[in-house]
Amino acid sequence: MRWLCLIALVISANVLAEDLMPDQVRTSVNDVLYGQALFSLHSGDYQKALGLNQRLQNRAGKGYGKILDIHKATAQLGLGMGQRAKKQFYQLISSEKNQLIPGKARSHAWFYLAQHFYNKGDWKTALKSIRKVNIESIDSELKDEFHFLAATLELFEGKVKNADSHILGISQNSMWAAFAFTNLAISYTERDVHTSKVEAVFNKALLLTKYTSNPGDLVDKINLMAGQFFFSTGRGRSAIKHLKNVSLDGAFTPKALLTYGWALTEQWQYHDALQPWYMLKTSHSSLNQDVQETLIAIPHLLEKLNAKVMALGAFDYATKQYDEIISQLKKSADRLNTGEFIEPLLAQQIPDKWGAFEPVDLSLPNHPDRIYLKDVMSQGEFQGELKTLRDLHAMRYQLTTSLEHLSAFKDVSETRAKEYNKIKQDDRIKLTNRQIKGFEKRYKKLVAKVNKAFKNPDGRGLASASEKEQLQAFKGVTEKITNLKELTNFKSAHYKQRLRRVDGVLKWALSERYTKRKKQVSASLAALNNKLRDAKAQHKAAKLAYISAPKAFKGFNWKISKLEKKYFSELVSLGKVYQKQREKVGSIVKDDINDRQRRVMDYQLQARLAAARLFDETSNKERAVADTGAIQ
Amino acid sequence: MKATRSFVTILLCMVSLLASSTLMAANQAGLDASIEELKAEVVELNQELFELEEQLLYPATTSFAVYVSMTSVEDFDLHSIKINLDEQDVTSYLYSQQQIKALRRGGIQKIFTGNLKPGLHKLIAEIQGKDQDGRTLKRSVLAEFGKARSSKYLEVKISHNPKQNRPDFAIVEWK
Repeated sequence: MRWLCLIALVISANVLAEDLMPDQVRTSVNDVLYGQALFSLHSGDYQKALGLNQRLQNRAGKGYGKILDIHKATAQLGLGMGQRAKKQFYQLISSEKNQLIPGKARSHAWFYLAQHFYNKGDWKTALKSIRKVNIESIDSELKDEFHFLAATLELFEGKVKNADSHILGISQNSMWAAFAFTNLAISYTERDVHTSKVEAVFNKALLLTKYTSNPGDLVDKINLMAGQFFFSTGRGRSAIKHLKNVSLDGAFTPKALLTYGWALTEQWQYHDALQPWYMLKTSHSSLNQDVQETLIAIPHLLEKLNAKVMALGAFDYATKQYDEIISQLKKSADRLNTGEFIEPLLAQQIPDKWGAFEPVDLSLPNHPDRIYLKDVMSQGEFQGELKTLRDLHAMRYQLTTSLEHLSAFKDVSETRAKEYNKIKQDDRIKLTNRQIKGFEKRYKKLVAKVNKAFKNPDGRGLASASEKEQLQAFKGVTEKITNLKELTNFKSAHYKQRLRRVDGVLKWALSERYTKRKKQVSASLAALNNKLRDAKAQHKAAKLAYISAPKAFKGFNWKISKLEKKYFSELVSLGKVYQKQREKVGSIVKDDINDRQRRVMDYQLQARLAAARLFDETSNKERAVADTGAIQ
Repeated sequence: MKATRSFVTILLCMVSLLASSTLMAANQAGLDASIEELKAEVVELNQELFELEEQLLYPATTSFAVYVSMTSVEDFDLHSIKINLDEQDVTSYLYSQQQIKALRRGGIQKIFTGNLKPGLHKLIAEIQGKDQDGRTLKRSVLAEFGKARSSKYLEVKISHNPKQNRPDFAIVEWK
């Protein structure tokens, strides 16, 4: 089982779901929805891609055919909906008749599917998929990885010969060769293979690590594995040789120091064995399981060195340390129940990042269970379940945020409805309409009056009363002169001329007045007319606004309420599933804590028994020395 | 008799163990299925919400969108695009390698959505990237367009010019 953990680290999690798809460039430039779906899918926004895919599938008759099914399955895979995706993919790529997927794409699809199921821990399905890959069809840069994956999966199933043929297929200067040989060596350790052969494979793997991107960690791991193997088979010297090469500041240091100490003990080098264990004890937390083992191993070794009093002290110290560890583990278990354990971890996740290809952020700054959690998090099962819980947590966040959005939309809709009603209920338009009509009527009357007044251009219409009297008098005088002329042969020319002059002066004044007044009235009338026209234009614009008042709120309230209901019910269902998943993750941690507590209690019991025995022995010795002294 | 009784007891124990493990497996499968079901429902709901948002916030009479496409362009590595509408920077976007790949594979990105009044408008797209020799390339493309009381879509199109063997940039109006 330990070697499965090694390979789990090896396969990079950067396989992307869209790699399963054949290259398919959009067929229509203007089909924006399809183009957007493609962009979302290829850029890893699977949620949006799946939503758009749904819209596209609802728009029947667009001629995309099976490609939409492939997109759907791809997006489902990306969102961690493995069961649905698996079903869909198998239907699509299993059929050799499906011309949409060319042979090369099909082989790639099988390869990536295998990788995906391998990462998920579904090795049987992964093996089935990898066996369907046609090696000739895949890209040359994937060939070594393919051989590595196939070899590993064959080894899992115990098909050693198949695995060997794949390992031989890997080129020697590829990074995958080091991993493959390591896996082969670990596989040898679990089978009855001669140690010399195992050592040769381990050495080969070490030699090939130079082709990997980060050889340090892999070298440490290989040396540790080899050391553990040789120690367990009683070959202490070989074990020491490998364990010595593990770096002192790596992830594998504690285990290497512990095994190194045991290997030296087995070689009767007790003094030397104390050194790595002291180093381990002082530089690592007591929550580390290797340190816990060291706590009891040190007094055991001291006893072997016949330093019994020191051993007794060390056993007492270990007992106290174990008490503390048990209490710390109990506190962690309590925090698990009160929600202080997993919840802070979930709270630091980015809400939009979820799905099968989004890793869980496992960094834990300032968390009381940080050291312990690091240990638990290295377990594949915990990580898988935690990822699902993270997905549910992200979905819950999305649902809550969406409800907030809906509430904001409701506000928008209500504001628009208010605006609309305000415009519709406003009387100003009717009032203005009435006023404009009144003005128009008065204007017409005024124009009629003006026309009447200015009917005679001689200006008689504008004469004052005295002027009218004068005009009348002129008329009378003219008549009198005419009569006098008929009766008395009156020479009237002189009078007539004078009268005409006076009449002319008056008429000139009247005419001047007429011209001046007409100018004034015309200007006033024009201004009035302009004002009336402006008022009419304003009225027209207001009328248009009234007619075209925004009705973009109509029907939305109903839609929003319907969606809100759906969201609420979804939130309830999600709450239930979340609780179940939370319990599942919690039970993994709880079981682990229980196991650790049991182991520590076991160590503690051993330490107490040994301390009691030593106490008894040392007391008897003192008594015996005292007795001898008394006799003497 | 004693042997038969103990055999029956062992058998019962085995059956109960088997039953409990089967039940656990069924529970596990049930939980997995309901999680997948939930995921599908959440995706569907979010899509509905997205459509509602588009209809409500960007009505057909005023809606305006800018898209980006980049087909058959292998000699240009897109870094960023800045959109300036009527003398105002409205959006800018930095591209990841995955997104560039998505554009090359036929994807269209909706880079900007908004509302726009009817009338004449000016859009400038500032495109930055690297050519095949690793030199920084910065181009601005301008489009003056009219908008009526209906939706308007523009596309910033990056294509390959085979004659000059260099990328071409243009803004295309969708009819």
